[in-house]
Amino acid sequence: MESTDNLAHRIMWILWPAFLAAGAGEAIFFTVFDPFDLHFFGAPLDLSRQAIYTMGFFGFWGLGIASSALTVFLERSPWERNRCPLDAAARPEGCPKREGGGCGAQEPTQRR
Amino acid sequence: MKPPDKIIPIEPAPSAPEEIALYEIRRKIYPRAVTGLFANWRWALVFATQIVFYGLPWLSWNDRQAVLLEIAVRKFYIFGLVLWPQDVIYLTALLIIAAYTLFLFTAVAGRLWCGYACPQTVYTEIFLWVERKIEGERIARMRLDQAPFSVRKLAVKSFKHAAWLAIAVWTGYTFVGYFTPIGDLGLRAVTWDLGPWETFWVVFYSLATYGNAGFMREQVCKYMCPYARFQSAMFDRDTLIIAYDTERGEPRGPRSRKADRNEAGLGHCVDCKICVQVCPTGIDIRQGLQYECIGCAACIDGCDQVMGRMGYPKGLIRYASENALEQHLDASAMWARMLRPRTLIYTGLLLAIIVATAASLYMRNPLKVDIIRDRGAIAREAAPGVIENVYRLQIMNTDEKARQFAISATGLRGLKVVGVTDPVVVGAAGTLLLPFRLQVAADADDGDDGDDKKADDGHERKRHDDRRPKSGSHKIQIVVQALDDPAIVRHEHSSFLFPR
Repeated sequence: MESTDNLAHRIMWILWPAFLAAGAGEAIFFTVFDPFDLHFFGAPLDLSRQAIYTMGFFGFWGLGIASSALTVFLERSPWERNRCPLDAAARPEGCPKREGGGCGAQEPTQRR
Repeated sequence: MKPPDKIIPIEPAPSAPEEIALYEIRRKIYPRAVTGLFANWRWALVFATQIVFYGLPWLSWNDRQAVLLEIAVRKFYIFGLVLWPQDVIYLTALLIIAAYTLFLFTAVAGRLWCGYACPQTVYTEIFLWVERKIEGERIARMRLDQAPFSVRKLAVKSFKHAAWLAIAVWTGYTFVGYFTPIGDLGLRAVTWDLGPWETFWVVFYSLATYGNAGFMREQVCKYMCPYARFQSAMFDRDTLIIAYDTERGEPRGPRSRKADRNEAGLGHCVDCKICVQVCPTGIDIRQGLQYECIGCAACIDGCDQVMGRMGYPKGLIRYASENALEQHLDASAMWARMLRPRTLIYTGLLLAIIVATAASLYMRNPLKVDIIRDRGAIAREAAPGVIENVYRLQIMNTDEKARQFAISATGLRGLKVVGVTDPVVVGAAGTLLLPFRLQVAADADDGDDGDDKKADDGHERKRHDDRRPKSGSHKIQIVVQALDDPAIVRHEHSSFLFPR
C-alpha cells in the first residue's frame, strides 16, 4: 500500500495536474484573446506576445498549483492531522512524526 | 463410538511487529537491456517519432517553414494550410481524433501508446541507451552507483550527463523551433542573440526532457500520468494485455536444462526473474496485470529468450486476452474477438470524425469577415437627405495568395459603400482593417432581403412606392466577394441606424 505521505509524490501531485491544466488554460485563453488586446488596469501591456504568453502560462500554472496544493492539504487523513498521544520517541517505526523524522520527511525509515 | 471432538484452542497470537511502509521508497530501477521482436518495434517507433519530431521543423513549403506554429503572429502554418485563432475547431477536432485513436488502440491491445510511442517512453529509451553505452550493462551500472567516489566515476557520470544534456538541449531547441522559425532561431542561438523568452523556453523544455527521461522515468507513468489510471475503463475481457500464462508457468522453480520438468513437477517458469529485471517500472508481471504495467512487452522478449534456451515453447508471457487465457482460445479465435461492439463503435466514431474534419478542411472558406460597428458613432446626415453610418470591416484572407475583393451592401434600397477603393486587396495570409461608410437616402425603402443578387447588381425596382422617412435600426447585409472565385464570398449581418 502506498501512502500519500511521501513528500516527493505530493510535490508531483501538486505540480503536474496544475501543469496540465495550465497548458489547457493557456491554449484556450490565448486562442480566444490576443495578448495585444489585453489591458493591465486600463493601460495596454507594453510587452511582446511571447512575454505575455509566458507570463500567462506561469500565471495559470500558479493558480493550478494553489488549487492542487489545497486539495493535497485537505486530503490528509485524521491520523496526520490529529495530535498523537504517543511521545515522539514511542511512535511506531515509519510514522512521519516519529522522533528523527519530520513530517513528510524524505529520509525513509529502513524497511526490513 | 464417535470420539469426542478434539478441541483446538485458538488463542489470539500477539501480532508480529509488522512494518507498515508509510513511504513508498523509490528503489532505483536498473532495467536490463532486452532484445527481441517487441524491442525492435519500440526502436522502430523511437526512430519514426523522433525523425518526425526533429526533422519536421526543417522542411520548407511555399518558401517558409512547412510546420510553424507561429504564436507571435497568431498563425499556424501546416504545409498548405494556414490556421487562424478562429480555426480552433480544427485543433479541437485533432484532439478528439487523438483521444479516440487512443481509446481504440487501448481497447484492442492495451497500452500500446505507453509501451511504444509515448514521449516519456521514447526519451527514456534514448537516455537509457546512452546510459548503457557509457556506464555499461545493468550490473555494471549498479556497481558504479554503489562504488565510492573516484575520478573514474566522476568522469563516467559527467560524460553521461553531458550527453543527456546535449540531447535535451537539442530537443528544447527543436521544440521552440516549432513556434519560431527554426533556422533563424539557430542563427541567433549561435550568435548568442536569443530573446529572453526563447532562451527561457529552450532551457525549460531541455530541463524537462533531462529530468523526465534521466531521473523521473517510470515515476511519471506511475504517479503522474492520468491515462495510466483511467485506461482500464477501455479494457474488457477481450483486450490484449501482457499476460503471464499461470497455468503453463506454475509451479515455477529453477531446474537444470536437462532435468525432466514433469518429473520434478514444475511448470515452464524457471523463475529466472528476467521478466522483473527488464521491466522499466520494476513490477513482476507474474502477479497479473497491474496498473504500473506500461505494456512495453520487454518481459515478453526477455522470457521468450529464456524459453528458447530451455527448449520450451515461446509465449509463457505474451499478448493475450483474459478470455483467451481462460478459455484456451487459439490466436485466430482471439483475434476474431477484436471485432466486437466496443472496437467497432470506437472505429466508427473515429472514422466519422476524421471524414467530417477532412471534409470541413477541404471546404474551408479562406475568407473571414468581421464587422465592427463604431460604438460611439451614431447615424449622421452626410448631405441633405443622405444618412451615413460608419463601420470597420476586418477582412482575413487565410490563403497564401493575395486576393481582390468587392464590397457591397444590401438590405436598403440604394445602399452605397463609400470611402473604399474598389477592389480591396488583401495580402497573402493577411488581415485588413478597413473603415468604410454606408450611405443611403433618408427615405429609402427596404430592399428585398430575400433577393440579394438583384440588389447587389444595383437594380432599381419600383415595386412599391413607400417613401416615408425611416428611423431606428434596420437590418442590412454586407457582402465581401472575391473577384477571382464566386464561391469565396461572405454575407455578414449588421444594422444601419437612422436618426430618430
